[in-house]
Amino acid sequence: MFGFSERSVLNILFWVTRKKWLILSFLLSISFFYIPSPDGLSPEGHRTLIIVSVALILIISESIPLPAVAILILIMEVILGVDTADGVASSFMSDAVFFIMGSLMLAVSIVNQGLDKRLALGVINITGNKTWRIVLGFITISAILSSFIGEHTVGAMMLPVALALIRNSGTETIKSDNLSTILLFSIAYGCAIGSIGTPSGGGRNVIMIGYLSEFGIGNVSYVDWMKFTYPMLLIQIPVVFLILWHTFTPSQRKMDSAVRKLKIKVAKNGKMTPHQILAIAIFLSVFFGWIFLSPRIGLGIVALSGVFLYLSFRLVDWQDISKNTNWGVILLFGSAISLGIQMKETGAALWTAEHILNFLEIIFGDMAIVRWFVAVVVTGVLTNLLSSAATVAVLGPIILDMGGNEIVMGIMTSIASAFAYLTVVASPTIMIIHSTGLISSSDYFKAGWKLFLLSIILLFIISRIYWPSLL
Amino acid sequence: MKILIAISSKEYSAPTLDVGMKIARLLNASTTIVDVGEKINEFSIKDINLANELMETWDMDRPGVDVLEWAYKYLEKNNFINTKHIGEGFPKHSLIDSGTGRAEILLKGSTISNLNLILRNGDIIEELRNEIQVHDYDLTIIGGSGRRNMAHDLVQYIDSSIFIVNSFDSNKKYKILLAVDDSPGTGKAVKYAVRVAQAFDINVDLITVSKDNHFGEGCKRASEKSQKMLRRSGIDYIVHFKKGNPVDTIVKTAGSNHIIIMGASTQSPLTKFFMGSKPLNVIKASDCPVIIVK
Repeated sequence: MFGFSERSVLNILFWVTRKKWLILSFLLSISFFYIPSPDGLSPEGHRTLIIVSVALILIISESIPLPAVAILILIMEVILGVDTADGVASSFMSDAVFFIMGSLMLAVSIVNQGLDKRLALGVINITGNKTWRIVLGFITISAILSSFIGEHTVGAMMLPVALALIRNSGTETIKSDNLSTILLFSIAYGCAIGSIGTPSGGGRNVIMIGYLSEFGIGNVSYVDWMKFTYPMLLIQIPVVFLILWHTFTPSQRKMDSAVRKLKIKVAKNGKMTPHQILAIAIFLSVFFGWIFLSPRIGLGIVALSGVFLYLSFRLVDWQDISKNTNWGVILLFGSAISLGIQMKETGAALWTAEHILNFLEIIFGDMAIVRWFVAVVVTGVLTNLLSSAATVAVLGPIILDMGGNEIVMGIMTSIASAFAYLTVVASPTIMIIHSTGLISSSDYFKAGWKLFLLSIILLFIISRIYWPSLL
Repeated sequence: MKILIAISSKEYSAPTLDVGMKIARLLNASTTIVDVGEKINEFSIKDINLANELMETWDMDRPGVDVLEWAYKYLEKNNFINTKHIGEGFPKHSLIDSGTGRAEILLKGSTISNLNLILRNGDIIEELRNEIQVHDYDLTIIGGSGRRNMAHDLVQYIDSSIFIVNSFDSNKKYKILLAVDDSPGTGKAVKYAVRVAQAFDINVDLITVSKDNHFGEGCKRASEKSQKMLRRSGIDYIVHFKKGNPVDTIVKTAGSNHIIIMGASTQSPLTKFFMGSKPLNVIKASDCPVIIVK
């Protein structure tokens, strides 16, 4: 056919069916390009929005690798004339990207220290062998640790602890057994609610802080952030526990033998090694650096200093960091932030914000409710489709252009992007527990929607009653 | 001869494994058992690697290895492999990760010439297609699936012959339903049928279907040629000439106690994509195992 062999037609057909979203986004961008710019939108802003829609389609459909999406964003920014090559390059790198890079490397360094077994022992010694105390302990420790170290690190470290308990309790082979489901969810949801606690809890918090200072709105320090968010984290711990316990009540009320076996296994490791003590000391110094130094030198530089120390003391090999750091994610967030800055500078963010407000005002009637709806509900829903950091990077500039108190709007958006309870793609911790194959897909929704609703209500109450006293 | 057996879970894969290993043993084929795990989102892939590495320090398997271990034990229990040569049972610590989403467990010594256990993650069609293109299998054995379009994707994009183990019952005595017509794929299908019939020592129903009562020269000749092959190979067979819609007639004749064997469609890929094909419709409508020979 047309001089092609059958095989090449087949290969093309296969490619087309697998890449339909790529082709669709390509066609869409061409047709949008030839539509005249709408009133109030500059040609650059118009083209920036084309890039945003292409990026969103490609990220959600996963039809090409993420790093390819990242590179495509940069190429399109230059080719469509949104900015010069040098301009794109300098918006690509920022302290927020330094921070994301640094915290992914810190994660690898910390996970490599073998501290997970010590963590397991610590948790079990506090909780004892009653199942409800173990679940509550898992949620609490995951939430508090992930607020400082980042959710993906804690998720990876807690997973073996939970699986060791599950396997030793004899329920290993049963898919969606309540005991395994509740233990795994207590990690994932614990990490999710924890990630709002400090800027270092998740890359998206730092992206938001970066936008707030880049756009000249204000500087939010590490401690300021905690004042806004930590009370919500602490209240959510019992909320998550009650929802999970109510939804997946396990039949085993005690886990005697599993806990005993875990203790025996962990006890073999002996005392804490000097290396481990040094590793903890370095992390603590990073933590204090975030609190005291970051207003002057930036969160990203502090995180990178920690990586520097781990490497210099040979607590981690560069090969390990290189192998286990998700460079694709770093590229993507760099591009997404660059795109966010272009959205602000070209006026695309403002134009979109105004249109969303005008449209939603007809439905809700009250501007304050509209802003709240976009910052919380739209962010929460998009997070579950896109992953949290990409949502903040793209939606952030629009929300910051909607008026109201920008710092409140920004922090609210960051918190709502942690409501990633519903789908597997939403956050790395959910994917980590999903990869065990022990949870069936429908279970994510079972407890997730309750938590999603309650989190939204809780955030509403806190932002109305508690936050005004901070401003 | 190289055979690929695709399994997915402990709950549903036993019939596939059972019939696949029987065929492999009888044909003395080199066999690979693959478990295709769920696709992992790219945002999280490194975090999952980290978690998996930690699991190893806890002496726990990464997800998917348990499915392979189950498959191994199943083969052991049913005497498909002889464990005396291996010594310590399932060698989970010999998992070799090639870093491209494919990990392999090396097994030494078994009663069939070569057995591999591998683990892949991703979209099942993409992973199988890649595995088959790189390692060149002759036959892919896979269970029936409820997924929409799965049959279409298998027939269209998998380059080897396909055995879809639809509602297979290993206690049942099956016959072969060999569908022949004047299409170029028939010759290969007949050869396959002969090998399978000899291997399992079962009879063949040879069927040729025409839409009206008139059977063309090509069809008659194809049937005669097939009869000659079966006769020479010493296989008992019954010849049927039936009138009706080919797909419906084949499916109805097969019932649930036949293994249908037919050639792949030789229409252009585009036609198949838009119009479907006979083999595809047979797979969709039938209630028994089907082999499509490519």
